[in-house]
Amino acid sequence: MIAKRPRAKRTKAQDTGAFALGALRPARAVEPADARELAATLRAASDAAEAVVLHGGGTLQGAANPPSRYDVAISTLRLDALYDYDPRDLTAGLGAGTTVAQLQRTLAEHGQFLPLDAPLASQATIGGTLAAGWAGPRRAAYGRPRDLLIGVTVALADGTLATSGGMVVKNVTGYDMGKLYVGSHGTLAAIVRANFKVLPAPATRRLAIAPLDDDVRDRAVAHAAALELEPAALLLVDGFREAPPPVQPRMIVLLEGSEHVVERSTRELRSALGAAGVAETRLLDRDDAARAFQNLLDAYLARAGDASVTLLARGLPSEAALRAQRVREAIPRAETIADLRTGDVVVRVDEGRAQRARELLGRATVLSAGPATHIDAWGAPPSTLATMRALKEGFDPHGTLAPGRFAGGL
Amino acid sequence: MALSAFASRLRDALGPEVVRSEPEDLAVYAFDAYSEDRLPSAAIVPRDAREVAIAVRIARDCEEPVVPRGAGTGLCGGAVPSRGGLVVSFARMNRLVELDVRNRRARVQPGLINLDLSTAIAGHGIFYAPDPSSQKISTIGGNVGTNAGGPHCLSYGTTTNHVLGIEYVDAAGDLHRTSIDDPGYDLTGVLVGSEGTLGIITEVDVRLMKLPEAVRVCVAAFADVESASEAVSAIIAGGIVPTALEIMDALITRAVEAHYHAGYPENAGAVLLVELAGPQDDVAAGEAVLAKIAREHGALSWRAARNQAERDLLWAARKGAAGAIGRIAPNYYIQDACVPRTRLPQVMHRIDAIARDHALPVGNVFHAGDGNLHPLLIFDRRDKRQVQAVVDAGTEILRTCIEMGGTISGEHGIGYEKKETLSLVFSTDDLAAMGKVRDVFDPLRGLNPDKIFPSGAICGEVRSPSAAVPVAAGTPA
Repeated sequence: MIAKRPRAKRTKAQDTGAFALGALRPARAVEPADARELAATLRAASDAAEAVVLHGGGTLQGAANPPSRYDVAISTLRLDALYDYDPRDLTAGLGAGTTVAQLQRTLAEHGQFLPLDAPLASQATIGGTLAAGWAGPRRAAYGRPRDLLIGVTVALADGTLATSGGMVVKNVTGYDMGKLYVGSHGTLAAIVRANFKVLPAPATRRLAIAPLDDDVRDRAVAHAAALELEPAALLLVDGFREAPPPVQPRMIVLLEGSEHVVERSTRELRSALGAAGVAETRLLDRDDAARAFQNLLDAYLARAGDASVTLLARGLPSEAALRAQRVREAIPRAETIADLRTGDVVVRVDEGRAQRARELLGRATVLSAGPATHIDAWGAPPSTLATMRALKEGFDPHGTLAPGRFAGGL
Repeated sequence: MALSAFASRLRDALGPEVVRSEPEDLAVYAFDAYSEDRLPSAAIVPRDAREVAIAVRIARDCEEPVVPRGAGTGLCGGAVPSRGGLVVSFARMNRLVELDVRNRRARVQPGLINLDLSTAIAGHGIFYAPDPSSQKISTIGGNVGTNAGGPHCLSYGTTTNHVLGIEYVDAAGDLHRTSIDDPGYDLTGVLVGSEGTLGIITEVDVRLMKLPEAVRVCVAAFADVESASEAVSAIIAGGIVPTALEIMDALITRAVEAHYHAGYPENAGAVLLVELAGPQDDVAAGEAVLAKIAREHGALSWRAARNQAERDLLWAARKGAAGAIGRIAPNYYIQDACVPRTRLPQVMHRIDAIARDHALPVGNVFHAGDGNLHPLLIFDRRDKRQVQAVVDAGTEILRTCIEMGGTISGEHGIGYEKKETLSLVFSTDDLAAMGKVRDVFDPLRGLNPDKIFPSGAICGEVRSPSAAVPVAAGTPA
C-alpha cells in the first residue's frame, strides 16, 4: 500500500513545457492529490471555459492530435494509490497515475501479472495506457487491456465522479462504461481509478530471436504461424534497431508458461524454424527475456529523428507479414514490425513518406511522431463518427476535455 | 380481426411472410424465462438487416417501442415487450455468414444458436468460447445483448471478450458497423451487454479460439458447499486458474443424477467440477496440484473422467442442472450475483441462513471459480407466503453480495427484473453517466424500454415499480 501524501495542489506557472503538445503549451499544470481534487480541478476548468488535457507518463501523447485549445494540463501522477489488492482474489484496484512498472512489481511479489505490454513501462501510467487504447502483442494470448478491466471510476467534465463495473471478474450490472473510456484519449472523461482482473504469472519466460535471411523468411513465417503450442508473442522485425538485437531482419518469439511447456515450445520452434532453413535461434531466459521484450515494446514508440513517424495498422494475422513487406518494398528505409499473432503492422518512416505508408496499409493511426511532424494522427474517420460526435457532446458539452485531439476532430 | 395501423404499415412494407399480428401468433413473443408477460402489438421475423431497419423506422413513426429477441431464454425479462410495441425475432437470421479459420474469426447473424457455431467449426480445430448453459438454444445475438457468461468464462472471459465487431440498426433505423480495431470510441464494447437498449444487433463478428490440446474433467466430493467453496477460494488464491470450477450442492446433484446418471457422487454434500485444458503436460501437472488443494480442504474423493464421453456427460448434466430441478420443484427462482472469490465460503453460509430464515429450500449450482452465484429458491407459486418469501430472500441475497463487495448480476443481465435493484450498486451520478450513453443512442427511449435502468433514474423511464412475481424456469448459464 502506498501511503497517502499530504493534500497539496501544486501549480507550476512557468514550468509547463513538459506538457506541451504540438505548438501548444498550457497556461498552467496541476497535479491533484486525489480523485476528488482532480474532479474539482476539472469542474473549475469547465466553469471557466478552459480546455484541459490529462497527462500520465506522457508516453502515448503522440498517438493523438494536439488539442485545438489548451489551457490546463492535469497530471495524474499523484493518483498512484493501490486501493484494493488482495492477491487471493486475483483482482487489483489502483489509481490512474500508478506506473505500469510499479504495478508489475507489486503483482510480481505475489507471483501475478497484468499483461498490459506498455512501452516505457516505468513512465507509462495505468490511466494513460487505458486512455490511449494501447493493446500490445500479448493480447492474442491474454486479451486486451480492455478485456482485463473490470471496473473504472472517471471524473466527468462537470466534476462528478462516476463508477461502473466493480471488483468482481464477471459483471453485467449496467453498461460496460469502461469500454467507452478505454481508447477515448481523455476526450470523454478522466480515468481516475481502474480495477483489473490480474493473472497468475507464467512460471517462466523465454525470448527466442532468429535472424532471417530473405530466402528463408516466407517459410519461417509459415512454420512459426503453424506451431502447435502458440507463443505469447510472435513478431517479424525489420529495422527498429532499438529492439533486440540490432540485426535485421529477425523473428522474435516470446514463450511463456510452465517450464515443461516452454521447453517443449522451444524444441518445436527450433525444429520448425530449422526445417525452414533458419540457421540459428538465440534464446534469452527469464529476466533477460523480460528485459528484451520490454525493449522491443519500447521500440514501438522510439523515434528515428525529429521527422520520424510510427504508424500502427490493425489487421488480420495471416496478412501482417505481407502488408509489412509491401510497405518495405515501396518505401526505401521503411522499418516494420509485423505481429503474426495479432495482425498488427507497425511502420516507421519519415513524415514525407507517411502518407504513402498509410495508403499501402489502408488504415493506420500514429503511435509516435517526432517534434517536427504535423501528421494527422487518425487518418480517415470511422463511419460511425456521427454517433461518436454525439457521445462527445453528451459527455463534454463545453469542449473541456482535450478538444480536437481525437479521431474526426473530436 | 382488424389490423392496427402499425401492423398494417409493417405488413405493407415487409409482407405477411415477415409480420405477425394475430394474438395467437404474438403469444409466443409475450414472455421470456422471466415471469412478466405482455402481448406486443406486432412481431417481425426478418430475413435481413434491411428489413429490421425498415421495421424500426415504422415503429418510430408510430411511437411503438422495439424489443429484440433471440431464443427468449433470458431470466431477467430482457426480451419481454413490457410496453407492447414491436418484437423483432431473429429466428430466421441464423446463419454463419463467413468463417476465417486461419484468423479465427467468424461473422454470424444474431439468431445463430451458440452451440451450432462451435459444432459447425469443430472440424477446423477451433471453437467459440462463451458457453452459457443455455447454449443449445440461446442465440449469439441474445448472448451479445446480455454479455452472457458460462462455466468456461473463468479462463476464456465472457462474451464481450469474444466480440470483434457489430452491425446494428440504430433507434432511427439506420444501419452501422463497428469494429474494435477502428479508430474512435469503442462502440462495440458499449453495445455488448446493453440488452437491446442502444441498438438492434443484426450481425456479429466473433473471435474463435483454438481447441486445447488436452482436456481433463474431474469431480471432487465435499461434505458441504462451504468446504467446496473454501477449496475454490484456495485454488484461485494459489494462483491457479483452471478452465472451469463449478459447484453443485446436494440437492442439485441428486436432481441431476436422477436425470443424467453422469456419475456425480450422490451422497456428497457438494460436488466440485473442475476442468483443465491446455498443453498435455500442464493439464496432468495441474490436476495433481488441484487434487492436493481439494484434499487439503476436505475433499472426500477425487475422480477424473476417463474419456470424452464421460466428460461430455458430466458437462451435459451440469449444464442441464436447472432443467433437472423441474423434476423436484413446483417452481423455482434462480438468482444471479457475483462476489470476490475470497468471500465465497462466507456468502454461501449467508445464503443458506437467508433461505432458512424464509423457510425456503435452496439449491446452489454456480460458477464458483468466478465467484458467480446462482442460488435457486424453490417454492410453490400458488402459496402467497412462499412467493413473498422468495422475493424477500432474493433481495436479501443481493444485498448480502453487495455488502461483500460483489454485484447483482454476473452474467444474466439486469433486464426488467433487477432494474430497481441497480441503484443498490450505483449512485445517481454513476447511472447518469450511463444515461448519457442511452441519450445518444436512443433519445426517444424506443429501444427496449423499461430495461436495465431504475424507474425515473433516467428521464423517460418513469413507471411504477412492478410487483412481478419471479417464476423463472429457464436455464441458467
